Amino acid sequence: MEKIYDSQMNVHDFIKAMFEKNIVSGLGALTQLPDNKGISYSLLSDGFDFQKCMPFYPVMPANAAIAVSKLTRETSPSSPIAVFLRPCELRALIELTKIKQARLDNLILISFDCSGVFPFKDGKYPTEDTLKRYDQSIKEAKINDTIRQVCKGCENYQPEGADIAISIIGRGVHESLALSFATEKGKSIQEKMGLTASEIQPSTIEQLTSDKKRNKQELFKNTQISNLDELLDVFDTCIACRACSYVCPICYCKNCYFDSQTFQYYPENYAQRLNKKNTLRLPLDRIFFHMGRLSHMGSSCVACGMCSDVCPVDIPVSEMFKAGGQNIQGVFNYQPGQNLDEPMPLVTYQEKELHEMED
Amino acid sequence: MNDIKIVAFLCNWCTYTAADLAGTSRLKYEPEVRIIRLMCSSRIDPVFILKALMDGADGVLVGGCAPGDCHYSKGNYYARRKVAVAKTIAESMGINTERIRLSWIPASEGPLFAEVVNEFTEKIKELGDNPTKNEVYL
Repeated sequence: MEKIYDSQMNVHDFIKAMFEKNIVSGLGALTQLPDNKGISYSLLSDGFDFQKCMPFYPVMPANAAIAVSKLTRETSPSSPIAVFLRPCELRALIELTKIKQARLDNLILISFDCSGVFPFKDGKYPTEDTLKRYDQSIKEAKINDTIRQVCKGCENYQPEGADIAISIIGRGVHESLALSFATEKGKSIQEKMGLTASEIQPSTIEQLTSDKKRNKQELFKNTQISNLDELLDVFDTCIACRACSYVCPICYCKNCYFDSQTFQYYPENYAQRLNKKNTLRLPLDRIFFHMGRLSHMGSSCVACGMCSDVCPVDIPVSEMFKAGGQNIQGVFNYQPGQNLDEPMPLVTYQEKELHEMED
Repeated sequence: MNDIKIVAFLCNWCTYTAADLAGTSRLKYEPEVRIIRLMCSSRIDPVFILKALMDGADGVLVGGCAPGDCHYSKGNYYARRKVAVAKTIAESMGINTERIRLSWIPASEGPLFAEVVNEFTEKIKELGDNPTKNEVYL
């Protein structure tokens, strides 16, 4: 466990200090838009009114890993940029880096122990009252009951792998920041900022973790599919809009395989199928798309919950994909986003493994 | 149950050659299997397996060289991982994983190929029709 230091600063002062000490030249964080028009992940430079930064604000309009991937995919930034990421966004960014869709050079990864985000449906932000209760639940290290389903069952809410980790659970968002510095990059920032005094004790989170584990198991039980009828039932309302794949941080392909010519059939293919079945629900491959997508991104799924948020017909995609993804990850004992040097499951192998798959 | 369909993805160097040998040796085996030849078993994609099952195939057989004997030295290890993904997804999505089979059949083992096909066909007959076969709302 890394030591935690009391910075004696709130988040805005901390951001300002990083700019003043020339540690960063840019910042990516959730930010209040002008005229209170909403909150969005934004790239900011010195001179911005950092009081408008709200890195802990509990909504995820988009998974920030996508924004950081776009920022760094072609080349790394020429001077250091700090990015605030929730733990699941950080894991997604690590996965994207593995597949060469992002670069971490000159990026300073700042993350925090996350208490989940509210579903971002119809562009509606949580009310003052909801936010107050959310802040209370952070202070008490409890689970807020109106956050995303996958957040309620998220056991990976600790900011593993961040250069700077902020501990807020058990302290609250308005206290001075409790910081820990796990990486070399982080330690050098700690030195530059002069944060070596006043160590503090970590909060007790065992109860929270075990509550989340219980929620997860319940979630998996509620969304389990055990036969074709149940599968058809769950995806009955799917309109094949593909929104789930567009917002998925792991679905990075510019041209989705499932939109490709491979799945473009000729009239005789339809005729042949009709011959056997008398009816065909169109478009074809509606449910198969979800299975195929799971096979492409399941091993890297970080269970951020974006897919459920954008689903216009409220299919619990992320709940099912969290379970499906964990099953795949379990087979290969792979934890997405945990270690940049660990190869993804399908590009590596062991000679002696998976004998239960052979007949 | 009528009209069983088994789709077999076989590697060019071992299992496909074994199927060839079974043919030239005039071995009799169940005729339900439709073979698709791959240059290597690692060309299999979980998507191929899932697509076949969703489009009404009753079973999918993946055949490759025995571990250590791959023509490209390590392709079959990748194939094993991909089949594992397909099976895991099938399990998560309520499709019977017994409809997917991975077998290592060396080129010289024509009789083994016939045996595997017979065994798998028997298994599929036991399982009955794949429910996706007549389902129109997929």
